[in-house]
Order: sequence, then C-alpha cells, then structure tokens
Amino acid sequence: MKRFALTGICFLLLAALMAGSTYAASINTSTGWNMPPGVTDVSREVYSLHMTIFWICVAISVVVFGAMFWSLFAYRKSKGAKSAHFHENTTVEVIWTAIPLVILIVMAVPATATLKKMYDTSNAEIDILVTGYQWRWRYEYLGEDVSFFSNMSTPRDQIQGLEEKGDNYLVEVDEPMVVPLGKKVRILLTANDVIHAWWVPDLAVKKDAIPGFINESWFLVNEPGIYRGQCAELCGRDHGFMPIEVKAVPQEEYDAWLASRRDAAVAEAAGADREWTMDELMERGAGVYNTYCAACHQPEGQGLPPVFPALAGVGMSVDPEQRAEHIAMVAYGKTGTAMPAFGDTLSPAEVASVITYERNAWGNDTGDMVQPSEIRDLLGK
Amino acid sequence: MLDVIKSVLAAFFGVQSEANRQRDFQAASPWMFIVVGIALAAVFVLIVAGVAWLAAQ
Ligand code: HEC
Ligand SMILES: [Cu+2]
Repeated sequence: MKRFALTGICFLLLAALMAGSTYAASINTSTGWNMPPGVTDVSREVYSLHMTIFWICVAISVVVFGAMFWSLFAYRKSKGAKSAHFHENTTVEVIWTAIPLVILIVMAVPATATLKKMYDTSNAEIDILVTGYQWRWRYEYLGEDVSFFSNMSTPRDQIQGLEEKGDNYLVEVDEPMVVPLGKKVRILLTANDVIHAWWVPDLAVKKDAIPGFINESWFLVNEPGIYRGQCAELCGRDHGFMPIEVKAVPQEEYDAWLASRRDAAVAEAAGADREWTMDELMERGAGVYNTYCAACHQPEGQGLPPVFPALAGVGMSVDPEQRAEHIAMVAYGKTGTAMPAFGDTLSPAEVASVITYERNAWGNDTGDMVQPSEIRDLLGK
Repeated sequence: MLDVIKSVLAAFFGVQSEANRQRDFQAASPWMFIVVGIALAAVFVLIVAGVAWLAAQ
C-alpha cells in the first residue's frame, strides 16, 4: 500500500510538471502568462526563440526527472536494491559535459542571428530621442522640431482604490509616442537623473536609459495599434508610474499629428505674450501641480516630511516676502536635493501657473500672481 | 609537454581521469601548468573573439 502511494506521488509530480509546462506554452498569450509574440518581425523572432528554448528545457526536464523517478521506483529498497559504491566514471562525465555544451551552442546560433538584427540600427527613417525623468518620459523627434513629455494619466483615485480601476490601469499616458507604420524607427535612449529602462514587450525593445550615455534600439511596426510598456529599472518612488504608450498609425495620420504637435508648441509659447487671469493660472496650475509636483509634495501640498517639504501653510509658498525665492526654486531647482529644475522642462506658462497655484491653493491665499511673461523674461526663452 | 596541454584542456572542460590526476601530481613544479594554463586561456579568448568577429560579419 505504502509502495503504491509513493509511486503514485512520483507519477503525479511528473504529470503535473509536464501538464504545467504544456499549459504555460499553449495558453493564449493575451492572458499574460507567456511573453507576447508582439507586432514586429524581430519580436516574433524573439518569441519563437523563446518557445524553442522553452521546449528544449521541457525535453531536458522530462529526460532528467524521468530518469530520476524511474530509478527511484525501479531500484527501491523494498525490492532489495543495493546501492553501488563507485567513484568517478570519466566516460559518463565527458558525456554529460559534452551534451549541454552542444545544446548551448545549438541555442546560441539562432539567438545570435536575432541579436544581430536587434542591434542593427542603421538606415532608420525616423530618430526619436527618449529621455527618462523621475517619473516620466520625454520624446524628441529629431529634425522634426517636436518634443514633449509623456506622463501617466491614470487618476490618483484609481491608485488609492477610491475609484474602480480602468482597463489600462498604470499603462496609459497623456501624450503617447506616435510612429508611422512600416517605417524603421530608431530610438536613442538616455536619462536625465537616474537609470531608467524603456520596455515595450510587443516591440521586443527593452533597453536601459542611462544619464550621460546614449543607447540605441529600433523597431518597425506593421500593425496599427497601441502598444504599452513600463519603465523596467527601479528608479525611485514612482518607478511604477511612468508607463510607455506607443501608437502606430498610417503615414498621413502621423504627418497630421506632427503638424498638430508643432501648432500646440507655437500656441504654448504664445501663451507667454498675454496677461493671464487668476482663474486661468489656477486652473492650469492645478493640472501642472498634479502631474509634476504631487508625487513629492503630495496632492494637498502636505508634503512627506522630512524629505519632501510641505507647501501648504508653511515656507516660501505662503510668505509674501519670498515670491522671488519661490520662482527661483521652481525654475532652477535646488542642487543636492531631490527638488528638480523645471525652467528647462516646463513652458513659461506652466511654471508661472504652478507657482501661482502653490501661492494660492490649500489656504495659502497670498493673492500673488506670476505671469508667464515674467518667467519667459527671467529664463530668456 | 603534450601531457600538460592535455591536462589543462581537461581542466577547461572540467573532467579529468583519476590516473591522469595522479600522474600530474607527480610533477616537480606547478609552473608548467600555470604557464600553459595562462597561454591556453589567452588562446581561448582569441578564439571566442574570432568567432564573435565572424558572427558580426
Ligand atoms: C522629486 C521630488 C520633487 C518634485 C517632483 C518636486 N519637488 Fe519641490 N521640493 C523637493 C524637495 C526635496 C524640496 C526641499 C529642497 C530643500 O532641501 O530646500 C523641495 C522644495 C520645494 C519648494 C520650497 C519649499 C519651501 O518652502 O522651502 C517649492 C516651492 C517647491 N519644491 C515647489 C515644487 C513645484 C512647483 C514642483 C512641481 C513643478 C515641485 N516642487 C516638484 C522635491 C520635489
Ligand atoms: Cu524609471
């Protein structure tokens, strides 16, 4: 009876192992159990390499564990098996060293061929400079005069569980990277502060973005759609909140999009030429604050002392004497602390409105306004 | 000398017979093994670099 139980367990384990691996391999990739085949020629190659190597592993496990379970069963003590005591067997050792060597080489040959393709960034038709920031991506279309930030757009309430989570929870952005179909796109990756990594599984691109270095990668999408990804290098407290969205569209749509981005940039710059009202500044400022400042200073300006100071009711944001210091802090940041300089990254209208917002929200009520033109003149933009 | 080269290659591969091991430990000095080991390691690196160069063509 006991003997049968043991045999049963052995076979069950073996069966579970095999069933588990078959399941993992066959399961519909859209459920997220397996890596996706993706939408580029390279990503499909990567996928088939992954599956080939997976099946090699399954075959090896079946042989190795099969031999193990069979020896356990056929040479069990209750049948009077006596263990052999011997030391080394050169032939066997040579065989079990040579076989893995051959398997590794067999796997390395197609893998190297694919890697070569992945590294060949030549003859790209579009160059996009991708810069990682804590915690957003910036896309600059080289030679196109188009540059913008891509921020996560998942509402804070969904993150805190106050609202039901959407379909694209944590993988949606305000401004996606848009690329045309059928064109080889080269991305040049770097970072502004710490190491980030740009990862979009459907494009089979996962590359570090390192301050002071430029890494290259490329992709060519044939199927229209939105492909999502995330930062894949632990980069600080909002590392999980800097997703990537790549939107592949037909060429005409891409051209129209480029034109609309240029128009938007012109309109943004023109914003600094006129007087803004308090309401306009406050409304714009609230949006800028939530996107760029709330991660550290918190939505209600309460901060996270002692690292991130509160802005509500204390410090330069409520002090009528320190308006200039406040502007300088936001425009130039403070070196040696986590407070970034926003003068280069935000437009004058954004800087002016967020400062106005901080000086008047949460009961700060200083009544101070900062006009975009003032920031523009200060920064010489 | 040939025996030393064979033993070093066996060490790279990771398998050596007991008889050869006994013979190697009869050697008066380890220097031969060290020098041949370093030389063959350099050869190995060159081979790998060569294969990588070929693959990149
Ligand atoms: C990465 C975290 C981080 C982000 C994002 C951030 N800050 Fe700060 N901020 C800091 C830190 C840290 C300090 C404290 C600097 C110091 O030691 O003086 C600070 C200080 C300040 C101060 C001075 C507070 C005082 O009274 O001394 C102001 C004003 C301020 N930040 C405004 C902003 C604005 C506006 C934004 C968004 C546009 C922003 N911060 C985004 C980290 C951050
Ligand atoms: Cu990151």
